Amino acid sequence: MEKVLLKNIDNPNSADIGEYRKAGGYRSLAKALQMQPADIVEEVKKSGIRGRGGAGFPTAMKWNFAMADPKFPKYLICNADEGEPGTFKDRPILEKNPHLLIEGMVISGYALGAEYGYIYLRGEYPAAKDILEGAIEQAYKENFLGDDILGKGVRFRLSVHQGAGAYICGEETALIESIEGKKGQPRTKPPFPVNVGAWSMPTIVNNVETLSNIPYIIEIGGEAYSAIGSSDCPGPKLYCVSGFVENPGVYELPMGTSLRDIIYKHAGGIKDNGKLKAVIPGGISTPVLPADAIDCAMDFVAMPKAGSMLGSGAVIVMDESVCMVRVTYRAMKFFEHESCGKCTPCREGTDWLRKILERIEHGKGREGDINLLSDVAGVMSGRTFCPLGDGAAGVVTGMIKHFRSEFEEHIRDKQCKFRN
Amino acid sequence: MFNDTVLKEIEGIKAKYPDRRSALLPSLYIAQREFGWLSREAMTCVARSLNLPEAVVRGTASFYSMYKHKPAGRHVIQLCTNISCMILGAGKLVDFLETRYGVPANGTSGDGRFSLVIMECIGACGTAPAMLVNTDFYDNLSEKRIEEILENYK
Amino acid sequence: MITLTINEKEITLDKPMSVLDAARKAGIKIPTLCHHEALKPYGGCRLCVVEVERMPKLQNSCTLMAADGMVVRTESEEISRTRRGILEFLLINHPLDCPYCDKAGECELQDLVNRYGPTTGRYTEEKRKVPESHKDHILARNMERCVVCTRCVRMCNDVQGASAISVIGRGNRSRVEPFSSESFNCEYCGNCLTVCPVGAILSRLYIHSFRPWQLDREVETVCPYCGVGCSLVVQVRDDSIKRVIPRMDLGVNRGLLCSRGRFGYEYIHSEDRLRTPLVRKDGTLQQATWSEALDIVAAKLTAVKNAEGGASIAGIASPRCTNEDNYVFQRFMRTACGTNNIDSVSRTGFAAAQKYFEDLLGQGITANLLDGLKNSETILVLGDDPAAVNPVLGLSIREAARRGAGVIVVGYAKGLDKFRTLQVIPRVFREAEVLEEVLTGVFSDRGVRGDMPYVDKGIRELSDRISGKKTGIEGIDETVKKLLQSASTSIVLGMDIVQRSDGHRALFAVAGLTYLLEARLYLLSGRPNEQGLIDAGCVPDMLPGGRPVNVPDFRGKFEAVWKAAVPDREGLTLLEIIEGAGKGNIKALYVMGDNPVRNIPHSSFVKEALRSLDFLVVQDIFLSETAEMADVVLPALGWTEKSGTYTNLERRIQLLRKAVETSSGMEDWRILSELSRRMGVPASYSGPEDVMRELARVSPLHRDLTYGEIAAGDALWPYHGEPLRGEMYEVPEMPDGAKDYNADFYLAVDKPLFHSGTLSRRSRALMKICPEATVRIGAAGAAKLGLKEGDKVRLSTPAGSCEAPVSVDGTIMDNRVFLSGNFTGSGVYDLMNFSIDKITKAPGTEGCEVKIEKIQGRG
Ligand SMILES: Cc1cc2nc3c(=O)[nH]c(=O)nc-3n(C[C@H](O)[C@H](O)[C@H](O)COP(=O)(O)O)c2cc1C
Ligand code: SF4
Ligand code: SF4
Ligand code: SF4
Ligand code: SF4
Ligand code: FES
Ligand code: FES
Repeated sequence: MEKVLLKNIDNPNSADIGEYRKAGGYRSLAKALQMQPADIVEEVKKSGIRGRGGAGFPTAMKWNFAMADPKFPKYLICNADEGEPGTFKDRPILEKNPHLLIEGMVISGYALGAEYGYIYLRGEYPAAKDILEGAIEQAYKENFLGDDILGKGVRFRLSVHQGAGAYICGEETALIESIEGKKGQPRTKPPFPVNVGAWSMPTIVNNVETLSNIPYIIEIGGEAYSAIGSSDCPGPKLYCVSGFVENPGVYELPMGTSLRDIIYKHAGGIKDNGKLKAVIPGGISTPVLPADAIDCAMDFVAMPKAGSMLGSGAVIVMDESVCMVRVTYRAMKFFEHESCGKCTPCREGTDWLRKILERIEHGKGREGDINLLSDVAGVMSGRTFCPLGDGAAGVVTGMIKHFRSEFEEHIRDKQCKFRN
Repeated sequence: MFNDTVLKEIEGIKAKYPDRRSALLPSLYIAQREFGWLSREAMTCVARSLNLPEAVVRGTASFYSMYKHKPAGRHVIQLCTNISCMILGAGKLVDFLETRYGVPANGTSGDGRFSLVIMECIGACGTAPAMLVNTDFYDNLSEKRIEEILENYK
Repeated sequence: MITLTINEKEITLDKPMSVLDAARKAGIKIPTLCHHEALKPYGGCRLCVVEVERMPKLQNSCTLMAADGMVVRTESEEISRTRRGILEFLLINHPLDCPYCDKAGECELQDLVNRYGPTTGRYTEEKRKVPESHKDHILARNMERCVVCTRCVRMCNDVQGASAISVIGRGNRSRVEPFSSESFNCEYCGNCLTVCPVGAILSRLYIHSFRPWQLDREVETVCPYCGVGCSLVVQVRDDSIKRVIPRMDLGVNRGLLCSRGRFGYEYIHSEDRLRTPLVRKDGTLQQATWSEALDIVAAKLTAVKNAEGGASIAGIASPRCTNEDNYVFQRFMRTACGTNNIDSVSRTGFAAAQKYFEDLLGQGITANLLDGLKNSETILVLGDDPAAVNPVLGLSIREAARRGAGVIVVGYAKGLDKFRTLQVIPRVFREAEVLEEVLTGVFSDRGVRGDMPYVDKGIRELSDRISGKKTGIEGIDETVKKLLQSASTSIVLGMDIVQRSDGHRALFAVAGLTYLLEARLYLLSGRPNEQGLIDAGCVPDMLPGGRPVNVPDFRGKFEAVWKAAVPDREGLTLLEIIEGAGKGNIKALYVMGDNPVRNIPHSSFVKEALRSLDFLVVQDIFLSETAEMADVVLPALGWTEKSGTYTNLERRIQLLRKAVETSSGMEDWRILSELSRRMGVPASYSGPEDVMRELARVSPLHRDLTYGEIAAGDALWPYHGEPLRGEMYEVPEMPDGAKDYNADFYLAVDKPLFHSGTLSRRSRALMKICPEATVRIGAAGAAKLGLKEGDKVRLSTPAGSCEAPVSVDGTIMDNRVFLSGNFTGSGVYDLMNFSIDKITKAPGTEGCEVKIEKIQGRG
């Protein structure tokens, strides 16, 4: 497949506007500005693209909601918080191909009637901040951003808003709170951001990868785009593979590539010829899959059927040397640390789960602890304010489902056999 | 209070948003740069320059883990220990930093040279383990590589 | 119309609301924890979950809006299991210290656990440890008990607007802290206490002193501190007030209080209370019996009246006493003593302004409901900080600001710093010229209004006189623009502007604006019954109900009921009384419930004048500075020890109820009635309600008013009475121009949030919050003198000198230094002299030059 999102990134100067334009950059913008906004949205709709931030929400549908709201100004926010552990797919775009994102945002802003854009960039990417700001400056200079873009009387102003270390700010309403200078705690929905978002105005939040697809959709047209990858969620997709594989990294493949192919064909298989034990397929908020469950298409529709989720497409591969209790414990430490504290089940539940897991991992587990874990996760599940808490519960439930015996061993032997 | 240059910088940030409170997170970064960490004094300066209540400034700042909520060493090592890094040995690197440099997890070395912050995923899982030293990024870490890197941070 | 079904019950709603509110409306209880009726829905605790048909998961009823056709179930096995699970979660880090916790018995968590709760603890790990903080004098924080419902923080931010506390950290490390993490250093409204469902924030005033179930009784009454007239509930055990709380459904304050109302009640149990009458013998005040003391007073007043005439007697009534007390006071003065020389300390501000506005614009012009503030589009704030003088009124302004209203402050109002949209800073003591310029600005656009030709004429003349003479002060044009655009304007006037020797100029400008803009006018009132005292007739020119005393017809009606003659000439105003005493024209003075020595500028002058009296009677609950000088001191009953009514600044009449029994002291009205009888003019009443019955009979304003109506909260202006039109058919001539005030520093009166003077000084809690007077000085002034926060300085003026620590306040931009009048030995009035405004008769306190010397650095 032709590279779309990672095109040109091997060029050491790929972040420079000149290089980007040489490779055909900003042509889609010029084309888009000849179109009516509604026609752009129509192309996006035809493309069938779904948001790459994790939930897989149809992008055109979100846009239509926002456009139907009569309030102005509207805001377009790019979600560059990329906090889901195991995920590093947006980073190459941000650092190596920033103009692709900018171009995507200007086109989207024009289509949506949004004149102000913000890139909510996680604090952990300081290098990307400088690169993005440099690219934005260049784009202003060359009139791809500003108050009269390409002389078409179109305004789009863009700036970077740096986060400061809070995973929950990836959740769109928490992100909006954070842009408003508040704690990143999710808001009650409805109202949805498309109606009452940043500063109470209609706000469209899209992931970096989603927005970076827009220029290509304009370039080849929605219909052609929809032929790439899975029919019910088409397009190119960035998969990031980490852990025990020979060639970890980000792979741009057609949506729906099978998990097995991603691991074995593209990432070179299990490191040092080890044996696959488990895969977390979409970032640690997605339930684990055992070695025999990897023959599934990695897309938003197929993965739930396979017992997990596509999430951010972050594939964490674990071989036989990895202790699943320890992984669960570490994951729970993450959730506990990142729980925003707003709702009881997540705030208290992650704390309790982490404590139980900690003692099991440290050989102090007790009879009944596995049931207790399931019970606690059961109370959380479906009752948290936002998906973070649900995800935390799902991790425990999934791990116990597939690796119960490992938990039992820890409790029985009063130690972790993987520790040396 | 901040000096005029800083105040101007903050004014510039405010102009990017429809509401002054939105400048809070960026202004906290500035305060941290000016004061080394988010001391009460630093937060008071932010509160004054944005006309926000001090408790609001502190409450908001305290939510975010990347601000320095206590004085830090000259160089801040932010080492990821999340799953991809953990399974590839990040835990051992934490121990190494403590024994080799005397910097405990989420603490500061006795000589004030390093602080170590245990991080969640920093988006380098494909080249794990990884860390940031101040704002510089390093991956594919091993004990030896850490020693080489830290040579540059005196 | 929305119709939904909850537990098989069909409910129809006429306006949108949450499922929780809909259920409550239908009498269906859903447990909640993070929800509070005074706050916006939050959705954090997840206890209020319900099942909704066609929705996959359990839903939060507090955040889910009711929709047409919804089918909701509030109890089921699944719901109970969830609630039990959530409660178990809440308890994992919650200490099991109910036996020690003051909240036990009224703790929402305890109640919920009793109803749904898990009993077996499956949690065996260590609980979160956060040491209890007693670093604050008033508020104790125990964050182990905190359930992170954020009700306190939302109250402090979204309602109180103090934003003094926040949740620190996130996740299960969340805890509530003030900025300093130790002392709260806040407005101490205590409204966070009201909403904390558990024992995580408690008042240290009553910590470990009682259990909710040990109270003897609860009594609804009204706050004794300021003119807002907040309703509160006094909780009593063993005839001692244990706690004061608000009620969400009660009064003008709807659940809110300020520091004074909530924590200032202790004065009533002060050691310093007067227990017996005192009579001066051989130069010292000595204990006496009631009959001895009353006989002396009656005999002496009769003697003075007979020898020198009633006009040589004067009375000072009290804005802290009830309407009933004040009514009987003026009846006693007018009939038994034969004098109209009746006034009160209110003349230094409220009464002066009130009279000016009513004379010009008609009776009731200042009677506006507080809700009107909340709904204003523009609020013009002048003269004082409403958030300090009338704190709960200040909250209405903050709320309006949150709703997007423009708040324009002329001068300073620190409590609105984070809320104002515009500030105009006049030249020192020259507020009038700014207001006049605003008025002419509005006039030149709007022109005359026509309803009141003499007002129109006054405005036109003013406009002609000052046209072209712009002050150039920033913000005036903007103010004019905003006022012209505003569809609904309120003006909030503090009394500092009135205390100018040309104070009537500002008053005319305010009256003109009120008139042209059809604005609502609110007068800040630092005492609880300033309006009531006026309406009860404790003014030299008016009988009860605002009827001029020099009109024979009016007088005759009162004389018929009182069966005694009323003098026909208007009496002297407050400062004229004091001056009269100094000159020997006033021989005897009767002071009820006030402390003129402290509450009138130029204390040494006042003392000197009182010293010249032949006879001074003081009726009070404390031996005040004034009482110390008296010949006879009569101990009165205080707030909560007697019943009666107050009239708040909206002119709403409210009932005060007796809550505690005490052996010493007598109601003010009863003392006066006893004296009246002894002086041959019987005026006896069976109780306060009887007094009100008489007032309702004689005063056209109070006509037919009953305690029943008052208790029901229905006694709103104009009751059943008929308001009078204005009387001043000519606007008094106004001086032009003003002096420049170029000295280094001038003294000005500070009105702190935490104090009111005599009473607050005897409330331990308020003294802990604010133990001493401080001198507030601007940053420039402090720099000029090399002063730092906490440095001690000596202030000296020709009238006197005092020492106090300084507090540097960056918001003060001019050369004034502010000192409050509340503390003995360092009261601002000790240092000030005054000149009388010829028209309002209020004291002008401007232009008091003050020398400041540093005497000691911070220790
Ligand atoms: C806990 C949580 C964390 C999230 N983190 C991210 C993130 O880091 N980046 C992202 O793009 N979306 C993240 N999301 C999804 C966003 O809420 C939102 O759906 C997304 O940004 C929408 O963009 P899209 O429509 O382009 O996918 C997260 C959601 C949740 C619940
Ligand atoms: S589930 Fe609740 S506590 Fe957890 S992050 Fe979401 S809102 Fe916050
Ligand atoms: S007492 Fe009032 S001002 Fe102080 S923290 Fe509580 S709510 Fe806020
Ligand atoms: S202190 Fe009380 S009101 Fe505040 S969050 Fe904790 S439990 Fe809730
Ligand atoms: S605002 Fe006034 S009436 Fe209300 S509690 Fe405070 S002092 Fe009392
Ligand atoms: S897990 Fe360490 S960088 Fe992602
Ligand atoms: S009361 Fe509804 S979530 Fe707390």
